[in-house]
Amino acid sequence: MGGVRFEHRYTYRKAVNIIMLSTTGLLTLLALIPLFWVTGYVIVKGGRYLDLDFFTRLPAPLGQPGGGVLHAIEGSILIVALATLFSAPAGVLIGYYAARHPNTPLGMGVRFATDVLSGVPSIVVGLFVYGVVVVRLHTFSVLAGGVALAIIMLPTVIRSTEEMVKLVPPSLREAALALGAPEWRTAISVVLPAALEGIVTGVILGVARAAGETAPLLFTTLGNDNFEVIRLAKLAIGVGASPWEIARLILTQPVDALPLTLWKYSQQPYPERVNQAWAIALVLMMLVLGLNLMARVWLAYRRRR
Amino acid sequence: MGQQSNLKRFWRHGDALWEALLVALALAFLVLVLHIGWMLWQDSELSRRAFGWRFLIPTAISHWNPAKGLFQAWPSIYGTLVTSLVAIVLAVPISIGIAIFLAEICPPWLRLPLNYLVEMLAAVPSVVYGLWGIFVFLPTVAVSAGNFLAATLGKVPGLMALFHGPIPTSGLSRLGASFILTIMIIPTIAAVSRDVFLAIPREQREAALALGATHWEVIWDVLIPYGASGFLGAIILGLGRALGETMAVTMVIGNSVEGSYSLLRPGYTMASIIANEFAEAVKALHSSALMEIGLILFGITLLVNVMARILVWRVSSRVPGR
Amino acid sequence: MALLILLPSACTGAPEGRRIITLNGAGATFPLPIYTEWIHLYSQQNPSVIINYQGIGSGGGQKAILDGTVDFAGSDSPLNEEHYRRMPDLQMLPMVAGAIVLAYNLEGVDSLVLDGPTAARIFMAEITRWNDAAIARLNPDAHLPDAPITVVHRSDGSGTTEIFTSYLAAVYPEWEEKVGVGKAVEWPVDKAGSGIGGKGNPGVAHAIQITPNSIGYLELSQALENDIPFADLINAAGKRVRANAETMQAAMAAMAGAFDERFTARIVNAPGENSWPIMGYTYLILHMEPEDCAKAKALADFIRWAITDEAAARKAAEMGYATLPPEVGERVLEKLAEIRCR
Repeated sequence: MGGVRFEHRYTYRKAVNIIMLSTTGLLTLLALIPLFWVTGYVIVKGGRYLDLDFFTRLPAPLGQPGGGVLHAIEGSILIVALATLFSAPAGVLIGYYAARHPNTPLGMGVRFATDVLSGVPSIVVGLFVYGVVVVRLHTFSVLAGGVALAIIMLPTVIRSTEEMVKLVPPSLREAALALGAPEWRTAISVVLPAALEGIVTGVILGVARAAGETAPLLFTTLGNDNFEVIRLAKLAIGVGASPWEIARLILTQPVDALPLTLWKYSQQPYPERVNQAWAIALVLMMLVLGLNLMARVWLAYRRRR
Repeated sequence: MGQQSNLKRFWRHGDALWEALLVALALAFLVLVLHIGWMLWQDSELSRRAFGWRFLIPTAISHWNPAKGLFQAWPSIYGTLVTSLVAIVLAVPISIGIAIFLAEICPPWLRLPLNYLVEMLAAVPSVVYGLWGIFVFLPTVAVSAGNFLAATLGKVPGLMALFHGPIPTSGLSRLGASFILTIMIIPTIAAVSRDVFLAIPREQREAALALGATHWEVIWDVLIPYGASGFLGAIILGLGRALGETMAVTMVIGNSVEGSYSLLRPGYTMASIIANEFAEAVKALHSSALMEIGLILFGITLLVNVMARILVWRVSSRVPGR
Repeated sequence: MALLILLPSACTGAPEGRRIITLNGAGATFPLPIYTEWIHLYSQQNPSVIINYQGIGSGGGQKAILDGTVDFAGSDSPLNEEHYRRMPDLQMLPMVAGAIVLAYNLEGVDSLVLDGPTAARIFMAEITRWNDAAIARLNPDAHLPDAPITVVHRSDGSGTTEIFTSYLAAVYPEWEEKVGVGKAVEWPVDKAGSGIGGKGNPGVAHAIQITPNSIGYLELSQALENDIPFADLINAAGKRVRANAETMQAAMAAMAGAFDERFTARIVNAPGENSWPIMGYTYLILHMEPEDCAKAKALADFIRWAITDEAAARKAAEMGYATLPPEVGERVLEKLAEIRCR
């Protein structure tokens, strides 16, 4: 009888096992439904409104058909490039420092601050940059947006550098030092290159995140339907401005970015704008997912070598 | 020879400069983070002095009235807490399920693509979720779920306040925001939990299997208790993401300072009230009140992240050889 | 000197045409459609002046100009004395007037009429269903659904809200007592759980579109442009009126003398049989003693063009705005001539 009960119990346990294990598979599928739903919808709806005008023209006046989002495309590129310029070199060096001095107060401080900053809501970063940059420069600007996104990117860059530098075998560094290379040369030409793949991956992921951020731009870049770099530059050259002046003119203009424009257009009653919002969503998804994929493929390729 | 010592001096000099550069950058970074907190503290002084604790705590009637200069953050704090908690409750079982599937069950050939997909889920920009939420997800799923909840739980005496209907026909509501948040935090919790599973040593599994446990029993009775604090850390990280999420929530929560506690009604979260109102906060007290909300957000996320790090660190440090 | 030329706010003695002028402004969404049109037209004639206007709400415009982050602002709501103390050289100039309408989303109802008290009671949440006796009495022929009313209002600080709430206060004294007038108020419908906020006039229009059985207040051109139906109103003279050029001009004419010493006026609940009752001017806020002469001159040129150019006026009328009465336009031009750069 005990045997029967055992049999029973065994069948029961096997059944539970199979049910629960398949449930986890189903849950995985369930979680992926939104991904496919979002992607599918964005491709179908957005793809319909992607045309050449979308990439090459400024917005038409409200309520009129046509026009594009060239202003936001240029804005996104500029802001993200600036943010990368601000955050990548500094972030790599800070990450290197944290990895080399894990137990000093400053090293621990940096690690803690990285954790804190990565958790700070991006809207709060926007508040900060408004007070520190926008109000002082007396204008919403590309520059302020770049600073805001740089702050968002920093933790990603610092953390990935730190982790990658730690993985570099100590013998490599010691060998370089033993050959008489000073510390800084060892870092620049031995340790960081050895960790390069991870660092670049970190930077690309940071760029991908920054490119999709809206909240930090709300109070820093404002928006600008008539932002067009080439037109600005042509006009400036026409009056004999130097390259430095042109750069300055462009960097101190309010500017739109793709996610910001998407957000604005999504709350509009004008059907053309809503359609364009879907098209922007498609471009943004391709950009962000493409960058993510690029980071992975690159990593896999380097790892194989 | 003289030349050589010059070179040496230069190199040594180089090292000092290098070290100074690193320390300066590290210090500047610390100052940056401290400055964010400090600015929020300073700029919220007006509001802190005017309202004190009344700013934070629930009162019978909460005011958010820029015209009269009365500000109480409770409705938006409640909005943040309730949407984040609902999202956690929904996301945890799904995420742990995914983590189990990815770490323990999934055939190797499927593992890599699935990992990519879960990470893609995390990489979709928040405005895209918002857009999809407004036009696709809310009017269908959130509205039906809301009507169902109003008809069922909304009739249960103790739960009426929480599920009082009707849900707006657009679906813009706290429930809609909770759903979108759920989707957004699943990848965070799932990825960290998967890593926790992978960090648990083989011996744990083998010992239990040798005793005749089924695969599920190994997972449920051995691995989950073993990694408990790690999973808790993962959940708290997800909570951190939910608390601070701004754009998607702003787009779907309906943006209204309501007296109602119902999940089916529109509301505000702390992040969304800042996003909506800061640009137009002409009065010093208004912008100061928003800064104070920013300060609270900063404080909460700081706390949440520190807790999560400690928990994750505790479980990974217990694993030998890692 | 070359370096100074392109400073965001440097006063340079640069000769004409020696620099690019960019004018950045932000504020009210009430005139957003007409401003973007005007800027579009103007930039075709003057390609070297780049004007940018962002619709972030009247409150946003006021904050931006007071924080010194824009060159000019748009607002439908007058600055208050505290603002003028902070920046004494600010001046508001009316640009165009527009009507506010009660736009709704009701299947099968093409025509609706409301009177002031009924509208106020809907926004007070005293009337909560479409088939309420008060609405039914005014619309005996309409097929009103037995459904709760969702009320859409602005979620941002808005001059449109200020004009609308001042109308409600004028026609329903209880509104003044319990809610008040302002750019942002505590909506009774929110407390009752039937309110939804939309950001900017476009946000309100959008929320009405996606919410069946809703009603909200909206600037006329944005209702027309998007084919959102709006209600007729019973005006102060007790007559049913429809929002159009004629009723807007009638209201403006009836209250032509309403301007105060700051050059701002309120034109709600205007007398006269043919007057649309909820109207407002929308203003540009600019500095009378600007630091950057070249920018100030370019801005003044643009405003002068917008007020005097025929094509600009035609466009405004086409879109459902009312152009300034001639004597008001004259005063704006006088003000522009008084701008002195520091």
